[in-house]
Amino acid sequence: MDLPCGTRNYDYARDMAVLRTKTHWILFIAFLALLFVAPLYFSKYWLGVVNLIGITIIAATGLNILIGYCGQLSIGHAGFMAIGAYTAAILTNKLGFPFLASLICSGFSAGLIGLVFGIPSVRIKGFYLAITTIAAQFIIIWVINHWTPVTGGFNGISVPYASIGTITFKDDASQFYLIMAITVICILFAKNLARGRVGRAFVAIRDNDLAAEVMGINLLYYKLLAFFIGCFLAGIAGALFAHWIGFVTAENFTFADSILFVGMVIIGGLGTTLGPILGVTLIRLLQQGIMFISPVLENALPALPAGFSTGLGPMVFGLVIVLFLILEPRGLAHRWMLFKSAYRLWPFSY
Amino acid sequence: MAELLQYTVTGIAVGMVYALIALGFALVWKSSSVANLALGQLVLVSSWFTYGMLVQANLPFWLGFPITILFALFLGWVIERFALRPLIAQPILSLIAVTLGIAYFLDGLVHFIWPMSVAALPRLFPKEPVSIGPAVVSQEYIWAAVISLILFGLLSLFFKYHKMGIAMRATADDQMAVQACAIPVTSVFSLSWMFACVVAAIGGILLSNIGGITYGLAETGLKSFSVVILGGLESFVGCIVAGPIIGLCENIGAGYLTPIIGPGIKDLIPFIIIIIVMVIKPYGLFGETRIERI
Amino acid sequence: MTKKTSIVTLIICLVLLVTVMPVATGCAAAPKASPGQVLKIGMITPTTGPAAEKGSPMGNANLDAINYLNAELGGVEGYRIEVSWYDSSYDAAKVVTIVKKLMDEGCLIFTTSSSKEMQAAMETANRAEFPGMACFTSPILYRPPKHIYGQTPDYGDNWGAFANYYMKNIWKGPGKPKMALHLLNNPTGYGARDAAKAAADKMGIEIISTDEHTATTTSEIESLTRLKAKKPDVLFISSTPAPTAIIIKNAKELGLYPGITIGCASASFTKALIDLGGASTVEGVYGVSATVSWGDNVPGMAKMTEYCQKLHPKDYGNMDYITAWAQSLVVAEILKTAVKNAGYEVLAKGNVESWRALETKGIQKLKNYDVGGLHGPASYTPGDNRLSKSLRIFQIKNGALTPISGWIEAPVIKYEEFGWFGK
Repeated sequence: MDLPCGTRNYDYARDMAVLRTKTHWILFIAFLALLFVAPLYFSKYWLGVVNLIGITIIAATGLNILIGYCGQLSIGHAGFMAIGAYTAAILTNKLGFPFLASLICSGFSAGLIGLVFGIPSVRIKGFYLAITTIAAQFIIIWVINHWTPVTGGFNGISVPYASIGTITFKDDASQFYLIMAITVICILFAKNLARGRVGRAFVAIRDNDLAAEVMGINLLYYKLLAFFIGCFLAGIAGALFAHWIGFVTAENFTFADSILFVGMVIIGGLGTTLGPILGVTLIRLLQQGIMFISPVLENALPALPAGFSTGLGPMVFGLVIVLFLILEPRGLAHRWMLFKSAYRLWPFSY
Repeated sequence: MAELLQYTVTGIAVGMVYALIALGFALVWKSSSVANLALGQLVLVSSWFTYGMLVQANLPFWLGFPITILFALFLGWVIERFALRPLIAQPILSLIAVTLGIAYFLDGLVHFIWPMSVAALPRLFPKEPVSIGPAVVSQEYIWAAVISLILFGLLSLFFKYHKMGIAMRATADDQMAVQACAIPVTSVFSLSWMFACVVAAIGGILLSNIGGITYGLAETGLKSFSVVILGGLESFVGCIVAGPIIGLCENIGAGYLTPIIGPGIKDLIPFIIIIIVMVIKPYGLFGETRIERI
Repeated sequence: MTKKTSIVTLIICLVLLVTVMPVATGCAAAPKASPGQVLKIGMITPTTGPAAEKGSPMGNANLDAINYLNAELGGVEGYRIEVSWYDSSYDAAKVVTIVKKLMDEGCLIFTTSSSKEMQAAMETANRAEFPGMACFTSPILYRPPKHIYGQTPDYGDNWGAFANYYMKNIWKGPGKPKMALHLLNNPTGYGARDAAKAAADKMGIEIISTDEHTATTTSEIESLTRLKAKKPDVLFISSTPAPTAIIIKNAKELGLYPGITIGCASASFTKALIDLGGASTVEGVYGVSATVSWGDNVPGMAKMTEYCQKLHPKDYGNMDYITAWAQSLVVAEILKTAVKNAGYEVLAKGNVESWRALETKGIQKLKNYDVGGLHGPASYTPGDNRLSKSLRIFQIKNGALTPISGWIEAPVIKYEEFGWFGK
């Protein structure tokens, strides 16, 4: 169904390929080419927005592995991002680690802490797990705020520029390349993970964990693996965020952010690689859009209540989540699929 | 020793307030197995509505209070009808996520209508504190405790003896069987949300009498999650018992641990309790242990 | 097949075109459009989100003041002030993107309302040498001093000014007074802790305990019970109105207050404290404020009152409005100094050169600007990025905030010299 008519596969490898036809390849390369010349066009502001989107996509991809593939609801993702950010900050600022080493360490530290909070998932699921991850979020932030000698406590900690070898990622354009490269790697990793044995085991656990166990899937191992990978990616995203913003405090990783991540993944489409990308892009652009629109509206229509611009953002976001869950539970990714197949068959859609 | 007594009294008093909020959670869970993460926002919205009635519209309490209750009933009905009902039979993930969406929406709504974000309700209770031996407790807390006990009694009786209450319990147990018995499942859900909103409204009025109406009321909902987890999700008794336990742990724990660990430990205690309960006894003190079949 | 081929070719051509175009146009950075005869500034306020109760009136005040300057004084030295105003929703990531936007737009200076916003923007701005000014500040923003400035004294200075006043005018006993701190669990609270850590010994004050509360606390009986056992002479609360009201209320219930002195930091010392706590409960509480209060007889009051009542009557009586109004005045004064010393041409460029000019020839040349008397005089001293260093002590008398002292200068504390201060 995903393919144009007349596409035939003669071996398994080609059947499993991510990019199937020449057109796919061309479009994909064209997209990458466009992406990587973007800094020539974008102003600092737009580069900033795109960098933020890239970082958020990494975190959301991790969350998607956890929620979308493995079915383990986590509402503490911002907390795990905080661990990554602080690990990166401490390693590079205080201990002088090189950027790449600290990036990997950030992923691992977030992943390991994620494992610890994932342990209850062996016995519990659904709402219980959601509450456990909420608790994780608050405990992590509390520890960061109160472990002053290491984390700097409430004062926060500054983070130097990212640098690999002699290249220092100082301006927005170079940061853009760094972030986009890592984002692409993370997305490819997630895509391949989902297609392999591990991904199928995750899906089996999501659909029915007892049945999965009966079929010989080691629940403990795979659930914890999902937590590890999900939080690992959150840690990577956190580290990049730290280098991007230059100064981290625990206030950058709030409970509201955790909810926002869940919302992004749902809106994008759970259990698809494309979902987090679309969801993150939509929500981040929506946020920026509301920032521009509300003062304009307020000036144009003075009759609006005083709290109009205040309430607009959260209301729209809440409404979008609710509407997507009701009307399109498979998210934007599914809409995109529908659009693609309609387009392919156009104008003879039968 | 006087301090221990003070911690105990405060702990129980604060815990009863948590229990009150938690009742609203258990109510929805008991009848529809929906985890309501918008609990805090329901409290927030109804507090502001009360403010709108009592202060902005300047109504007397005997008129403003019933209107608030009516509003809560309406709010519950709307939420169930337009957000929850379309999701019947969807995976639990969607049901939890939709309450998150509702939470965000209500947050926005509050900012929309009441942009000032801090306000005080007119005082309902006298402000002289009551002394119990060397310890003191303010009257708001005593009233909150009494009201949550009354609500607990009413709800327990309702669920035990009233036809609708029994239908609610049955619905939670097996929706298919209930439908076969010609019980209107949708109105059961609807009713449970309406009741939950009323409980949240009462909790909101009491809470905002204690600390004023602030954005923070929404976060009090988070603390009561530790109460429902400890007590067991579907148990009213669990709420009433676990509330004071959480309150006591918080106050006694903070009272004696702060000098050792440092300031701020109090805010962490409910969350540590959640983790401990999850590892040791995930279904809480009074919750049913579910046995799953394939 | 031909159709497909042509589509593919088209796409390739488009991509190539898009890729090559900037190279073809010479890759030169597009020159900024000449901004006409205006001075551009950026303003960020948390008008929505969790800090909206402060951010919303502050945003209004910022813009009202600019309105006033443009309408009645014809801007600055004849140049109109053009504001790019954005709402940050109190979201750190959003602040960073906004600051980048302001740099793109060629703003000369940016302001934020809260220290959290500035903390998020700080590194981005420091790296680009883009000068910024925050209304409410914590020491971390400019210790060591770089390109971020504080309009009013920081949370640590609040403690310093109160401690100073307490030692001089209230403390009568022999020996050292025992002071307890009750702090909000964020930089607002911990700024006071840092100041106490750095300076209490020198001032002859013994800090007997440090407690912490959340912004959403409903009962502080437990912490106050512990506190009571230590028999403090004075309690300093660094927080926002709602928790401060609860602490004072609980202190009264426990019989701790009256009996000790209670001092509050400026963030909580507003009318909301009296509303939430009840006038009779908070009677006699001391507080620190960086600004005058509404209705005071100072030269800048009349215009501010006029504009506030005309444009945002709801904000009348809000202390944050005064701070933010004054912020706009200070920014205008900085622009004026910079235009005088550096000339309009440099500033009109809107790039790093103009930022440097604004900083060295504007901000750092600021001397004793009186801000219409709305807060302490603003001037720059090398090594100290706080522009106004003065605070006043208030007391709640008969349910009203009443000033009981003149401007007290808070000395600069070089936090970065202490090992425990953040890096």
